[in-house]
Amino acid sequence: MNKQNFSLGLLFFAASVLLVSSCKKDKGDEENEEEVITTMQLTFVPQGGGNTVTYKFDDPDGPGGAQPLKDQIRLAPNKRYNVAVQLLNKTVTPASDITLEVAAEPQSHRFYYQPAAASNIIVSDLDNDGAGIPLGISSVWTTGAPASGSIKITLRHYPGNPPNKAAGDGADSGKSSTDIDVDFTTSIQ
Amino acid sequence: MKRSLYLSLLTLGWSVLYGQDCNLRLTGHVHRAGSHENLVAATIVQTSTGKTTASNANGDFKLDDLCPGAVTIIISHTGYDSVSRTIQLTASAHIDVDLRPGVTSLQAVSVTGSRSRTNTGFIKELSAGELDEIKGGSLGEILSRMNGVSLLQTGATISKPVIHGLHSSRILTLNNGVRHEGQQWGSEHAPEIDPYIAKRITVIKGVDELRYGSDAIGGVILVEPAPLLTLPGYKAEADALFFSNNNQFVSALLLEQQSKGLPSLTYRVQGSIKKAANVKTPDYRLNNTGLSEQNFSFTAGWRKEHFNSEIYYSRFQTELGIFSGSHIGSLADLTKAIAAARPDRTFTGENTYRIARPSQRVRHHLAKWNTQFDVASNRFTVLITGQYNSRQEYDVVRNTSIETPQIDLSLYTFTQELTWEHPRRSRWSGTVGASAMQQDNSYSGRYLLPNYRAYALGGFAIEKWVNDKWDLQAGMRADFKSMKTNRLLAGSSTLVNHQFAFPTWAASFNAGYKLSNTWKINTNVSATTRPPQVNELLTNGVHHGTGTYEIGNINLKPERSFHWSLNSVYTSPNKNWQAEVTLYRNDINDFIYQQPKPDEPVLTIRGAFPKIEYVSADALLRGMDLAVSTSLSRAIMLSSKYAMLRATNKRLDDWLIGMPADRIINELSVTVPETATLKDNKLSIDMQTVWKQSRVPSSRFGQQDYKAPPAGYHLINAVLSTTLQLAKTPVTFSLSGRNLLNHRYREYLNAFRYFTDERGRNIILKIKLELKHTSN
Repeated sequence: MNKQNFSLGLLFFAASVLLVSSCKKDKGDEENEEEVITTMQLTFVPQGGGNTVTYKFDDPDGPGGAQPLKDQIRLAPNKRYNVAVQLLNKTVTPASDITLEVAAEPQSHRFYYQPAAASNIIVSDLDNDGAGIPLGISSVWTTGAPASGSIKITLRHYPGNPPNKAAGDGADSGKSSTDIDVDFTTSIQ
Repeated sequence: MKRSLYLSLLTLGWSVLYGQDCNLRLTGHVHRAGSHENLVAATIVQTSTGKTTASNANGDFKLDDLCPGAVTIIISHTGYDSVSRTIQLTASAHIDVDLRPGVTSLQAVSVTGSRSRTNTGFIKELSAGELDEIKGGSLGEILSRMNGVSLLQTGATISKPVIHGLHSSRILTLNNGVRHEGQQWGSEHAPEIDPYIAKRITVIKGVDELRYGSDAIGGVILVEPAPLLTLPGYKAEADALFFSNNNQFVSALLLEQQSKGLPSLTYRVQGSIKKAANVKTPDYRLNNTGLSEQNFSFTAGWRKEHFNSEIYYSRFQTELGIFSGSHIGSLADLTKAIAAARPDRTFTGENTYRIARPSQRVRHHLAKWNTQFDVASNRFTVLITGQYNSRQEYDVVRNTSIETPQIDLSLYTFTQELTWEHPRRSRWSGTVGASAMQQDNSYSGRYLLPNYRAYALGGFAIEKWVNDKWDLQAGMRADFKSMKTNRLLAGSSTLVNHQFAFPTWAASFNAGYKLSNTWKINTNVSATTRPPQVNELLTNGVHHGTGTYEIGNINLKPERSFHWSLNSVYTSPNKNWQAEVTLYRNDINDFIYQQPKPDEPVLTIRGAFPKIEYVSADALLRGMDLAVSTSLSRAIMLSSKYAMLRATNKRLDDWLIGMPADRIINELSVTVPETATLKDNKLSIDMQTVWKQSRVPSSRFGQQDYKAPPAGYHLINAVLSTTLQLAKTPVTFSLSGRNLLNHRYREYLNAFRYFTDERGRNIILKIKLELKHTSN
C-alpha cells in the first residue's frame, strides 16, 4: 500500500512536469504605444505670397533611444505667416496623424505659443474650440526686426470629465497636463 | 507599571523561595484516535511556562516539576490536529490523549509554521482575533499592524507591505502554501491576494524561509487559511462591513462541510466582494479613487490513513482607480503639482463609485494540488501549482474612443515541488526538498518590461534539534534561474534579446535558548541571494507617476544579504507584564536601487525628464522592534509597540531613500464584564505616532526627491466590539474609528504624498455571524 502510494505520487509528479512543459505557447509581440507623439511639424505660409517653410521637432523612435532632431525656426523680418501645426506618431507604419485626434476633441486640448521677448515674434489669431476658447491648431505669427530668440510651444490635455477648459487657463494650469512641451530657438533674418 | 514591576519581582522571589512545592509529575500516553497506534515524537507544551517535551517510542511522555493547580498542555504531532487539555493537579497524574489525523498536515507550510513558531528568530503573527479586528482592508494594511511592518502606498487604493525597510521582490508571499508570482516588482503593484482567505497571517525570517526560496532577503509572509473540518458537520461564516469614509461595502461568505456519508471528503467555498467610492481626506474628496473587488476560492480535501490530498483554486479580481490629479505629463507639471498646497478642484469633490482612467484591472488565478503520503514514517509531499496573472493598466488617453489598456501583461507560472520529511529520531527532525518553476511573461501596448521565459530549479535541506533548553536549526538552499527575454522594438523589426543565468544560494542557522521558564532568547543568522528582477535589468521608459526616465541595467549582479537578528521575550511570572525586543542587522551587498543621473536628462517631446538608472551599492539596514505590555488590573491593559530602522548606502556613506520613519503605537484596552447575552466586550483606544523621516539621502549626487519628507503625525484610533448570543448563533458587532480626530497628514511612504493628504476620519461598522453544526 505504502509502496503503491509512493509510486503513484511520483507518477503524478512526472506527469505534471510533462504537462506543464508541453503547454508553452508563443504570444505575438505587440509593442504599440498608441498615444505617443513623435513629431511636431509647423508649416509657415507667408501672407501675400512667398515660399512655404516647415520646421519640426522629430523623435521617430519615441522617448529615449536616439536623440530627437529639433530645427531652428528661421523666418523673414516684418512678415505675417499663417501657421498650421501637425502632430505625427511615426512609431507606426504608416505614421498616424495625431492632429485629427486633437481636432476631434477640441474642448480637451489647447496649444500655447510663448515667444521670448527677444525673439521679436508675436503669435495671434489662434483658432477656437466650439465654446469660443482658443485651441491653437492654426495661428498667425508676426515677425519684427531681425533678432534671435526662442519660442515655447505647449499642448495641454484636459483629462477631467468635464474638462472645465476656460479662457483664462495658463499653460501650467492644474486642470491640464502636458502632451507637448518644446522650446525652439528662433532666428529672424 | 512601577507597581506591577515591584509585584512581579515579589512574585519572582516568592516562587524561588517556595519553588520546592512544585514537584508534581504529569505522565501521559499519546495515540492515534481510532486505531490506537502509539504516536512517537508528539510535542507536548505546557502553555503557561513554555516547558516542552516529546513522546517516546511507546507514545509516553512526562512533565516534571509541576506546581499544584490548573495545568494546560497542548499536544501536537505532524499530521494530526493539536489537542489542548487542562488538568487540575493536586498530586502527580496520568492522562491518555487521542489525536485525530488532521488536515493541518496537508499543508507543509502550516505544519512548519506551527512547529517553528516558538523557534524562529523573527516571527510575527496576526491571530484570527486580531485579523477580525482589522478585516476589510488590503493585505498590506492588515500586515502593517505588525510591529516592524509598514505600508508602502501609491495613493489610497494601492498598498503593499514593507518588512524592516524591504518590500516587493525582496519579500516572498506564500498564498496558502504557494509562492505568489504576480507583477510585483513595482511600488504601484499590490499583492494580488484576498485577505479573507486567511485565518492566520505570519511573517518569518530564518531557517524556515529556505523552503520557499533563496531570495527572501526581507522575509516571508505566510497567508494561511484555517485547516479544513476534521469532524462531520458544517460551518458557515458571514461578514458584512461598512466604511464611512469612502462608502465602502465588504461582504464575505464562507461555507465548509465534511459529509457524514463520505468522511474522507471535506471541502470549503469562500468568497468576498468589496466596493468602494472615492476616498475623502479631511478637506476634499479625491476623484477616481474607487475600488471594486471580487474574490473566490474553493478547497477540497481527501483524507485516508497515511494519505492526504487537497486541491485548491482561488481567483482574485480587482479594478481600482488611481487619483486623476496624479497623472502628470511632464517634469514641469510634476513640479507645479508638488508646489500646490492641494490638488486642483477639477480633480476633487466627486462622490461616486465610477472608476475612470487612470485605472488598473488585475486578475490572479491560482490552482494547486497537494498530496502527502507516509512511507514507513517518512512523509512525502508533492505540490503542483499553476498561476495566471493578468494586469491591465489604463492610462489617461487623448482619444476617448480608445478602450484598450495601455499596458497589458500576462504572467503564467507553474511549479512542482517534492519534499521528504525524514522520520523523527529522538530530538532530530528534518526536511529535504526539490522544486522546479517555469514562467512565461508576455506584454502588449506600452513597453515596460520585455517578454520573457524563465526556468528555475532549487533544492533545500533543513534539520532541527530540540531539547528542553535548546532549539537548534540549520538549513541550506541552492537555486538556479535562467531567463530569456525578447522585445520587438515599436515601429521596427528589430528584436532585442537577452539571456540571463543566476545561480543563487542561501543558508541559515538559528539557536533558541530558554534562560528560564519566563525568559527566552533566540538568535538567527541567514545568508540569502536575490537575483535582479526583469524590470531592474531591462525597464526603459518614462515613469509618469514619478516624472522620471527609468533605465534598467543588464550588468546587475544578484544581491547578497547577510542578516543577523537577536530576539528576547520576557514574561513576568504573574504574567502582568511582558517585554519583547528584536534587534536586527541586514548587510546587503550589491543592493539594487535607483540612482538619479542629473547630468544626463532625456529630451522628449514632453520636455526633458531626469534620468534614473538602476545601480547597486552595499547597503546596511539596522533596526529594533520593541513591544511592552502591562496589565494595570484584570480588565485594563496598556501596551506599546515601537519600531525603528537606520538604513544606509555604505558606498556613498548616505541614507537610503524611501525607508519607514520611526513609529510607536500606544494602546489602552479595556475588557468590559460579560453579561448573559453580551460576551467578549472590548474597548480599545490607540494613538499612533510617526516621526518625520529626517534620514534621507543628501543632494550631493543629484536631487534624489522632489519634496522633503512630510511632518510627523499622531493618529487616534478606537475599537468597540461585542458578541451577542442570538439563539446559539454568535453575532459579533464591532464599531471602530480610524483617524478619529480627522487629522490632516501625509505619510512619507506614500508616493502620492506629493499631491494629496491622507484619508480622513473613517468609521467602520462590522457584523459577523457564525453557524456551526457537528453531526456526531
